[in-house]
Amino acid sequence: MALNEINQGGGPGDAERDPGLDRLYRATGREEPPAHLDAAILAAARREVGARPRPLSSTVHRWRVPVSIAAVVVLSVSLVALVREEGGDQLMQVPPPASVEPPDARPAPAAPTASEMKQSRPPAAVPAPPRRAPREDARDAPVALGKMTDGFASGAAGPTASQGAGEVSAPDAAVRSQPRAFQDVPSPAERRAAAAEASPSTEDSTARAPAVAERRAAPPASAPATEAAGARSTMQARKEAAPGDDRLPVWHGYEKEPPQKWLDRIA
Amino acid sequence: MSWSAESSDEELMLLYRDGEAAAFDALYARHKGGLYRYLLRQCRDAAAAEELFQDVWTSLIRARAGYTVQAKFTTYLYRLAHNRLIDHYRKYSHVAMVSFDSEEGEAITELPDARERPADDALDARRQAGRLLELIAELPEVQREAFLLQQEGGMSVEEIAYATGVTRETAKSRLRYAMNRLRHGMREWR
Repeated sequence: MALNEINQGGGPGDAERDPGLDRLYRATGREEPPAHLDAAILAAARREVGARPRPLSSTVHRWRVPVSIAAVVVLSVSLVALVREEGGDQLMQVPPPASVEPPDARPAPAAPTASEMKQSRPPAAVPAPPRRAPREDARDAPVALGKMTDGFASGAAGPTASQGAGEVSAPDAAVRSQPRAFQDVPSPAERRAAAAEASPSTEDSTARAPAVAERRAAPPASAPATEAAGARSTMQARKEAAPGDDRLPVWHGYEKEPPQKWLDRIA
Repeated sequence: MSWSAESSDEELMLLYRDGEAAAFDALYARHKGGLYRYLLRQCRDAAAAEELFQDVWTSLIRARAGYTVQAKFTTYLYRLAHNRLIDHYRKYSHVAMVSFDSEEGEAITELPDARERPADDALDARRQAGRLLELIAELPEVQREAFLLQQEGGMSVEEIAYATGVTRETAKSRLRYAMNRLRHGMREWR
């Protein structure tokens, strides 16, 4: 073999591989270990396997990660299911929100609700404060009622004596110009209830018309000044009441008076 | 788990770890010759080489339970052989040798004078091979080991570095010096 074959396959600086050297080296003796050495080593290998069978640790080691992953998955799924069930139970137990609403949060259409309350309530009973009305009105209501009662109880029947016929129309106009509180029209049921109470005075009511005419024609009888003042105070109280305040019915206080005085008052 | 002739060395070793004795038989058959020659070329004594050879395989067998694939099997095997060889050199310190840490390292004996060779003798392949073996034997230990790991173990520079516990540049330098000396020795053989 020529020496140049040694230099083939790579430059002088190529230390990684030299095909010439490789070829030369492969031509050298291929020594092998003796047979007895092979037998001894192979026997030792089999003894090692036979003496110590497949270690359990290796099996456990192999399955450690999959078992851990499976355990985590099972726990996670169980936890999610448990949380969902508890969340649903809690939702089922939550009371309806309507019963715990604050008064201010109640919806606007309270008028029908209030009228319904009027229907169910006896006319003489002191009504409960309406839902949308502030509490101040509830406190003022007894005062207004008191004023009105005082005015009616004192027998105020109409305009004072000082008021002449010319002034008869003034209250009428004043009534027309009253705020809504005085002009609220009671419901038919309320009217019937009021009429039923005033039934003993029905006869008076029939005679009301001519009495009214007489009143209009003649100067009003001398009525105590306090009656007029009481009526005015009652009317004023109603005027001061909140708009739409229907705690005091229009006829409140009238039931204590005969119808004649109603007409006088209206006139 | 079954294995075949195409199974890798790592697969066979894992099978043996799990109790397959036949897998070790196949693994041993693949690498016994190269490991033996690696040890034989460095010890220059057959008895010592056989002793070292058996120690290396015994160490491998005993470590089977904790075997994990961290590198090529050949790298793992020749690393065991390298460590065992170091122990052998330290034990028999009377053998004059260059420190294993020296990359260049001088040869123990000088190269024979080429002029002493009969010029008319035709060098057949076998005699060139013999000459090469002589040159290999005269290499510094670290260079010789690097060259043998490349030839017998089929290892790359990186694998040689891992097996011998040095950096890649150190392994590359050792291998380069070894090959240069062998080329020079064979060039002069004319």
